[in-house]
Amino acid sequence: MDLRYSDADREFRARARDWLAGNIPNSRRPPGGSAAAQFDRDWQRKLHDHGWAGIAWPKEYGGLGLTGLQQVIWYEELARAGAPHHINTTYVALMHAGPTLIARGTEQHKAFHLPRILSGEALWCQGFSEPNAGSDLAALRTRGEIDGDHIVVTGSKMWTTDAQYADYQELLIRTDPQSQRHKGLTWLICDMRSPGIEVTPIRTMLQDEHVNSVFYDEVRIPIGNVVGEIGQGWSTALATLSFERGLGFIGDQLELYERVCRAIDLAGKVRLEDGRRAIEDDGIAQRLAALKADTIAIRAMTLADIAESDRTGMPGPKGSMMKLLVTTTHKALSEVVGDIMGWSFLEFDGDRSNNPWTYEYLWSWVFSIAGGTNEIQREITADRVLGLPKAR
Amino acid sequence: MYLAPEGDEIEIADAAADFLAQKMPIDRLHKPGAADMSETLRELLGEMGWFGLAVPAERGGSGLSPVEHALFFREVGRQCGPVDLLAQALAANAAQDTGLRQSIISGSRGVALMVADGDGYRLFGSDHADLALIVTRERAQLHPLEQAALESRAALDPANSLRVADALPDAVDGTSGETIWRLGELGAAAMLVGLAEAALDLIVEYAKVREAFGRPIGAYQAVRHTCADMAVRIEAARSQLWFAAAALKEGRGDAGAHLDAAKHLANEAGMACADSNIQLHGGIGVSEEHDAHLLLKHAMLLSRLFGSKRSLLARLLEARLED
Ligand SMILES: Cc1cc2nc3c(=O)[nH]c(=O)nc-3n(C[C@H](O)[C@H](O)[C@H](O)COP(=O)(O)OP(=O)(O)OC[C@H]3O[C@@H](n4cnc5c(N)ncnc54)[C@H](O)[C@@H]3O)c2cc1C
Repeated sequence: MDLRYSDADREFRARARDWLAGNIPNSRRPPGGSAAAQFDRDWQRKLHDHGWAGIAWPKEYGGLGLTGLQQVIWYEELARAGAPHHINTTYVALMHAGPTLIARGTEQHKAFHLPRILSGEALWCQGFSEPNAGSDLAALRTRGEIDGDHIVVTGSKMWTTDAQYADYQELLIRTDPQSQRHKGLTWLICDMRSPGIEVTPIRTMLQDEHVNSVFYDEVRIPIGNVVGEIGQGWSTALATLSFERGLGFIGDQLELYERVCRAIDLAGKVRLEDGRRAIEDDGIAQRLAALKADTIAIRAMTLADIAESDRTGMPGPKGSMMKLLVTTTHKALSEVVGDIMGWSFLEFDGDRSNNPWTYEYLWSWVFSIAGGTNEIQREITADRVLGLPKAR
Repeated sequence: MYLAPEGDEIEIADAAADFLAQKMPIDRLHKPGAADMSETLRELLGEMGWFGLAVPAERGGSGLSPVEHALFFREVGRQCGPVDLLAQALAANAAQDTGLRQSIISGSRGVALMVADGDGYRLFGSDHADLALIVTRERAQLHPLEQAALESRAALDPANSLRVADALPDAVDGTSGETIWRLGELGAAAMLVGLAEAALDLIVEYAKVREAFGRPIGAYQAVRHTCADMAVRIEAARSQLWFAAAALKEGRGDAGAHLDAAKHLANEAGMACADSNIQLHGGIGVSEEHDAHLLLKHAMLLSRLFGSKRSLLARLLEARLED
């Protein structure tokens, strides 16, 4: 057991801190729309051009080939510098589409897509969930019929984040119409500009239009776009989900500590109805301190997981536990800030930059639902970590 | 950077687990008179060198570190080990007099744990102990007990007997500074993590075999999800425990903050897991013959020692971390 950073780790941190200090965008990210997507692409291109893209991706695929620990250092420095949040329109491409292609794609897939992902040229979205298949993903019904060297897709996806900006999609469909559940599925790279695709935004309680319904009307996708094998899509999808649940929230994990510190500063300034500063209220002070301890432990848990996977080369089985802890801590922090801010917490124009804490509060439900609900994460923990009898 | 036991650390933890399961199993507490370390147990523990893990070799200890100390006390916690066992190890680190220190490390003299309570004192440990250790963040002191006027009280926790005193004879040995407190805080946190793990293990095993409405109770989500929440608390508390232990070993500037976080998470995990373990066992969970109440009562004691909720949270609010 040891906490020592290598010279290379320390040098990397110093270099990252130094570069970020002079290079984070001066302008605020637009609240939404294609201007926001452009902002994200520009930031990713800048990272790429200065040699900061794909920190832990293998060198042969354009990454820096650094360790998981150095990736943690990178996200810590992003949080410290107040850099653009990593859950943006480049998120799917960088955090799970790219890693899925590295793990399961053909050399052609990798050669074509990975450079475009790293440079911010190609944005991706995830087409897994459907109107009647969310938690129960294996109930999905979007069909693909094999027609020569193409698969012809018909059906609909729902909740597809950033589909309107994405160039490509991780598309999970049923290619064997007789099949049940996990069998007969196929994971495809779908070009979002293919004829027959229609994207309709769904407005959310955050007053944004980031998630969408996507309709497919006989969309022709080359068979060469299959990742894994036809009929083996469930296995590829599990790889995608393991990246999403494993490291997908790493930025938030590490940023939460900084956010608690900011909330403590805020509580030192804001006055309550009775004239005391919020931090002088025992209830508020205790909740903030307990959250600080939780975020310190979240960081220890992250480092423990990363160090383990740097050794074994495998992501640990603990992603679900991490997501549970991070999402519940995130929500509890938003709630205490709501109590600190009083009436001003109720102002919200939909722009994260203007009302960051209210935005985070509303976002806490996205966090605990998207990527597998907290109930499903508890199920996974009960099955795979504790080995309890199956609920179903 | 590596945040889990490895190499020799695993061997030490396994050896401790085997030894304690044989010599100090939790079910000892179902028999009368099982509170505290018996003289036999104390001498056995001393013989094996368990009290001196973190004591430098030139002072007669094993010359290991807070990491091994934490690994050992996690196993002690799993068996609901008495807190005088922790006192004995802390006294081995605190005693300055060579002869006294040697007799504590070897287990030939016994130490009980004493805490101030208002104007008086509370003592946890056997009447074979002739020294009481009081630890604050400023100092650790050993007081002789022969002359002390002690009054027995009925203790809630079967793992330790309880006596109270109004006054204490002067200290005979001790040391200033925060080192001993930190080893105490780490040891108590480790015991709570081990205790929480024991609670989770008990309920997971029971949930696989106990049936209701024709299915194992572990197939019901109310049970499964509570167990998952226990596992999450434990995972967080254990990760932070290892972080704090390594931070102490390496002398990091923010070790105190990490330790406070570790103790707070261990307090919460120990209490919550002991609680859920009783609830999910149903009726048998409140029976005296079951281990479940032992874990709860011991967690209640441990979560008040070396950093209670209130004091830890007050410090954590101000804490600052390094990279
Ligand atoms: C903002 C947002 C963005 C999203 N982005 C994407 C995206 O980009 N791509 C994509 O593919 N999907 C996306 N999703 C979809 C997301 O993965 C699903 O919403 C989620 O998996 C839940 O599915 P559902 O909405 O169908 O709810 P349901 O599955 O209908 O669940 C309803 C309720 O029942 C509970 N429940 C269901 N099954 C069980 C069970 N076995 N045990 C206990 N409780 C259960 C759930 O926890 C939930 O509380 C997004 C969702 C949101 C809200």
